[in-house]
Amino acid sequence: MSNQLLSYPKALPLSDWSNMASGLSAQAGEDVEPSPFTVLDCFDQSIRQSGRLLIETEGALVLMEADGRLLRQPAARKGNFVADLADGPVKHHLSDMSPLRCLLDLGQGELVKDQLRLVDDEEKTHLRVDVLRFSKDNKTVSLMALTPVRGYDKAQKQVTKGLLTAGASVATPGQIQSVLFPDLVPYVAKPKLSFAPETTAVAAANQIIAAYLSVARQNEPGTIADFDTEFLHDYRVALRKIRSVLSLFKGVYGDAATAELKQRFSDLMAPTGALRDLDVYLLEQDYYFDMLPENLHEGLRLMFETFATDRKDALTTVTKRLKSVAYNREMAELQVMFETPGEIVQGPQGGLTVGDYAKRLIWKRYRKVCKTAAKIDDQTPDEEVHELRISCKKLRYLIEFFAPQFDGAEIKAILKPLKKLQDNLGLFNDYSVQQESLQALISSGRLKGQTALKAAQSIGALISILHGRQLEERARVVQSFAGFDSQGTRERFRTLFHEKGAQS
Amino acid sequence: MKIIACYSNKGGVGKTASAVNLAYAYAQSGARTLLCDLDPQGASGFYFRVKPSKKLKEAKFFEDVERFTKAIRGSDYENLDILPANLTFRDFDIFLSRMKNSRSRLKKALQGVDGDYDVILLDCPPNLSALSEAVFKAADHIVVPVIPSTLTERTFAQLVTFFDEQGLKAKKLKPFFSMVQARKTLHGDTMARMRKSYKGRFMDTHLPFSTDVEKMGVHREPTMAFAGNRPAGKAYQALWQELEKRT
Repeated sequence: MSNQLLSYPKALPLSDWSNMASGLSAQAGEDVEPSPFTVLDCFDQSIRQSGRLLIETEGALVLMEADGRLLRQPAARKGNFVADLADGPVKHHLSDMSPLRCLLDLGQGELVKDQLRLVDDEEKTHLRVDVLRFSKDNKTVSLMALTPVRGYDKAQKQVTKGLLTAGASVATPGQIQSVLFPDLVPYVAKPKLSFAPETTAVAAANQIIAAYLSVARQNEPGTIADFDTEFLHDYRVALRKIRSVLSLFKGVYGDAATAELKQRFSDLMAPTGALRDLDVYLLEQDYYFDMLPENLHEGLRLMFETFATDRKDALTTVTKRLKSVAYNREMAELQVMFETPGEIVQGPQGGLTVGDYAKRLIWKRYRKVCKTAAKIDDQTPDEEVHELRISCKKLRYLIEFFAPQFDGAEIKAILKPLKKLQDNLGLFNDYSVQQESLQALISSGRLKGQTALKAAQSIGALISILHGRQLEERARVVQSFAGFDSQGTRERFRTLFHEKGAQS
Repeated sequence: MKIIACYSNKGGVGKTASAVNLAYAYAQSGARTLLCDLDPQGASGFYFRVKPSKKLKEAKFFEDVERFTKAIRGSDYENLDILPANLTFRDFDIFLSRMKNSRSRLKKALQGVDGDYDVILLDCPPNLSALSEAVFKAADHIVVPVIPSTLTERTFAQLVTFFDEQGLKAKKLKPFFSMVQARKTLHGDTMARMRKSYKGRFMDTHLPFSTDVEKMGVHREPTMAFAGNRPAGKAYQALWQELEKRT
């Protein structure tokens, strides 16, 4: 017994419904006027990607599940994050959405919603049907959502069969977007690029950089509008990926060109750092409050008030810059540069095929990771642990850039233990960075008077807790690497990236 | 999940009406509710237009899970399902033990279709039998309608004695006065006397004698659904609220 969503363009007279289910008659609901609806989804259209549709109409949020089941709750809400919605079935069923992403208005249209019931001789309902007609401009999608009543499956089976025979087809909620809003292309934060075997390393680098430039640009409007912090985050991740291509793909571009490009991308990214740092602090407020006892919360509160004010200024700076003519000209210029073959001076390795080049780079980086790790024991200074972290990060980026060139299952098997090692190294680094930046906040003189005094107490306590946590992570590093450095992983790296005549 | 039984060892006291209306009230409050019609003379199913299912008897050879899930019928109200009256004592015993075991296949099957229950209401037959004893053990609370007359006063005393003798928890009993006629001195006196001798046990809410309860048979709907704003409808709402508070 499950719900069913069908698409059927025509309106059926009541008698047709009665004919489809033996012994039952159809009862129409009240006549309804068309009403406007708004499609709501996150920027990455994660609701659509999960096969569902969320709309707001007539003061209600209506979530259509993949099978056509309709959940509804009042639309009134504190904000546009799922957490801001009133408690109800829609919020409950959206709990798998990212807490960092807010819901955006992605399009408007008109909806006519008819309801009918199929009842027996005692007027007991056996089947409910919602007939939904979504339209925009002169395009229409007509859907029928069949909701069975437990214990009365027969009616649904008969009606479904009848409708399919009459020309209906099984539908998905996604048809609303694809038919009514064809321009709504889902945003992809990590574009999957695969290259033909004969592709040169320089062509591959160009394509990767062009793809991430496009990702960065898609995040500009959301950053300016300040919908949620993920826009700026994704924007920065895209630019960081480009910078890592420039520094990791050695010899692909000429030395002078590489140096110039590195500088230009560094200049693009630098003005956004302050805003991102503040975002991270503010997102992690609860984490900081949880760490300290109640009597030190006042100082924290003052600290976060300062951050909130600083964030406003930082946002203004970033917004101004993203809107500026100079910035937009620079981005456009870079886009053309990477989309036009031969625009950038090629380096000595640029002509290699992408497969050979990838293997060579990854193998070299892997050897380096092993070499760095071999020197680390429990007494090694922190700097070398940081070096291992950076090396692992570079290795991860390289593998991910070139993943489509290799066997998917093998890549997955390699990435899994690598990610685990990186989690440990990442936490070690986070605790260290958090201590440093809190320290810097005290010395910066940004906090003044009483605020400074109270905040300093709280910050001091935080730093000592973070230091303790950093030591705990540090103690796990040797063991973490041993977990990564298994016989199986070694063989995989060798087979994939080092053996002659292996797949390319 | 809580199990609430509506029981009286005397017939015609408004037991089925309270089971039907309480089930409706729970469902309206958002709780997934199952009303089990255990009284072969009762009419819980009838009030919801659910025809008795023949399947449970016919399908002995099925697994318990299938037999029970197939026998359950959705009512016309959200969150409210009915298990129609045709359970044998053995069936009922199995059913309750499966429902109380969160790892049973029946429980998992229900959870799998988003149809597990927060509240199970039992409309019990009016006698002291093996079935009622099983109900007394399984239920978390037993709602007992009592007409404030000398005869029912005695029947209620018998029930309390039975609980004491059998070592059952008399605390589970949640009696309330039913079919109360305010103009009758006898009713007023009996209520005062019983409230005094069973201190704190009787619910504060009482159900007035009302044709809106009888009319359930005409409308084939719970009183609360067609007369929610009239005295009887309001009294059932208040009864539910008080029960929620006490349980």
